[in-house]
Amino acid sequence: MSELLVVENLQKYFPVTRGVIFQKELGQVKAVDGVSFTLEAGETLGVVGESGCGKSTMARCVARLLEPTGGKLVFDGQDITHLSRKEMQPVRRDMMMVFQDPYASLNARKRVGSIIAEPLEVHGIGSDSDRKRRVQELLEIVGLNPEHYNRFPHEFSGGQRQRIGIARALSINPKLIICDEPVSALDVSVQAQILNLLKDLQQDFGLTYVFIAHDLNVVRHVSDRVMVMYLGKPVETGTKRELYDEPKHPYTGALLSAVPIAEPTQGRARKQIVLEGDVPSPLNPPAACRFHPRCPRFVDGKCNVDEPQLLTAGGEGAEGHRYACHFPLERWPMDEDEIRRGPALARSAE
Amino acid sequence: MALLEVTDLQTRFLTDDGIVKAVSGVSFSLEKGETLGVVGESGSGKSVTFLTVMGLLEKNAQVAGSVRFDGDEILGAKTTRLQKIRGKRIGMIFQDPMTSLNPVKKIGWQLQEAVLLHNDVTQKEARKRSVDMLKEVEIPRADTRIDDYPHQFSGGMRQRVMIAMALINNPEVLIADEPTTALDVTTQAQILRLMSRLQEEHEMAIVMITHDLGVVAELANDVLVMYGGRAVEEANVDALFAKPEMPYTWGLLGSLPRLELESTRLEQIPGQPPSLLHPPKGCAFNPRCAYAFDRCREELPDLRPTPENKEHLFRCHLGDEDRARIWAEKKAAFDAAEGSAA
Repeated sequence: MSELLVVENLQKYFPVTRGVIFQKELGQVKAVDGVSFTLEAGETLGVVGESGCGKSTMARCVARLLEPTGGKLVFDGQDITHLSRKEMQPVRRDMMMVFQDPYASLNARKRVGSIIAEPLEVHGIGSDSDRKRRVQELLEIVGLNPEHYNRFPHEFSGGQRQRIGIARALSINPKLIICDEPVSALDVSVQAQILNLLKDLQQDFGLTYVFIAHDLNVVRHVSDRVMVMYLGKPVETGTKRELYDEPKHPYTGALLSAVPIAEPTQGRARKQIVLEGDVPSPLNPPAACRFHPRCPRFVDGKCNVDEPQLLTAGGEGAEGHRYACHFPLERWPMDEDEIRRGPALARSAE
Repeated sequence: MALLEVTDLQTRFLTDDGIVKAVSGVSFSLEKGETLGVVGESGSGKSVTFLTVMGLLEKNAQVAGSVRFDGDEILGAKTTRLQKIRGKRIGMIFQDPMTSLNPVKKIGWQLQEAVLLHNDVTQKEARKRSVDMLKEVEIPRADTRIDDYPHQFSGGMRQRVMIAMALINNPEVLIADEPTTALDVTTQAQILRLMSRLQEEHEMAIVMITHDLGVVAELANDVLVMYGGRAVEEANVDALFAKPEMPYTWGLLGSLPRLELESTRLEQIPGQPPSLLHPPKGCAFNPRCAYAFDRCREELPDLRPTPENKEHLFRCHLGDEDRARIWAEKKAAFDAAEGSAA
């Protein structure tokens, strides 16, 4: 397998300004602050985290809808970090996005046929009749009736619209599809249809996905590797098995323990780690480890002084299992009390 | 006697295209301190059922049946009488905390309004109660935050404010319509924990409308599964998850990606929820059901009890042996997936 996408220390800062004409910079929102990963062809990387952790900004940088402030993006062997709009155009043939809201991401005034054919038009592929044939083929692939070519988006349900969005992304045979919360607006039964469709398409066309979601169950279902983000930084990455069965970062543990289980006896017995408060503002993130104000394993004088680096600790694959924590979880599952005791034990042993 | 007893509730909307049968014959009862989980896809009539119960429908709605709250019939009651109940004895939380708070009024004003409307108290007393309630829903620095506007709060905190508003008059019943759907898992966990704590303290009955079977499994005592405006399965939560009887419930359970299971493919329910304007003949689920036979396409199955448990009701024509066999097969597949994941 070859590396399709290499992301090195990606940063995206948004300036916070005051004034209209004489803009004065007050500070920066570090939406993405040092994300690195490599993605092999045919692989799926799941990205999870709470809202406001920078998942979507990262996706937009990778798709070059935004220009990164720093770092490097290498797509299919080509450095695309600072390419101009014009230079990006040929690259865009290989990279498409599927968006969260199937209601807002389709132009309500255009017919489904022309929505799906738009990428083909933009890249000047085929004649009108070729495009029409291709669109009908795509409708069939995503499980819609090819006869519905001339309908408008409002005539379709949410799940069907998401299929249209997927057909549009597939139209020019991209190598990479970035899915930004593709199923979070859908009912479970329809969500299952879309997840199955994405998996089938990956098999049939050898697609590579970056799959962003806040639902850990969904991410586990589709991903090969998973990255957990908190306030613009990855806190843990690893294969699906490593991350879900042996999480090391307390934040990953808290996320996993917060998922309700659809089985009454197991569900009630679930050991939950409830995090207090909300994600802090990225305008003024906490010093050192950004998770320390909410962390159950917080140790004063260490976590708020010394920033933990994302280090590899064994694991499978080229990148292995990496996490950024001074006091990683010893085992899993753990209850809240054990989690709190962990660092104290480690300290007394020193 | 049940606190809230709904019998054969019917809601129809007269529209330009015809009559939409949004709710057709739903019955359930809710006891003090109990939690009823209501599950179903969008358009299954979950929300409309409870809007009907509260008398919050538009003028083009026709309702029938009976809603008895604490022994009194409230369906079709005068607005003035309902207003004494709504917000006082029955509280309601809506799904979207962004749109259900008034953006141009301070949080405190919105909370005090609920107090002043139902109680003969001074402004000062109302403010004090509002601060106490905000403290109770764990809003930090409640005495200063009360003078903030909704946009100064995060999503999870706005949902806490909604809960505070619904609970400020100590209602006997709380109807929560998808209270955590718009929230992150961690915030969801905080909100659900808060709701169970408040339920214990106030002995409140909760109706939890959701499409998340995980939330239902953990919080509910009884579950009502709705499809196409009808109750298709009703049972105690343990009974329902141990042996669901209706193909739609099987589909819902199968289509759920789960942390504890690893499967390569989800079992999907094909097709779309039915149109309530032109519902399919016979069982509403028959066009999407893998086990449908001729009778299902002609005749609506009755809501009947299972042979082993008379409180477990379901709506399906399949024979007892067939259902037992199919569920056993599905269960075996789930267990196998669970084994391979472990």
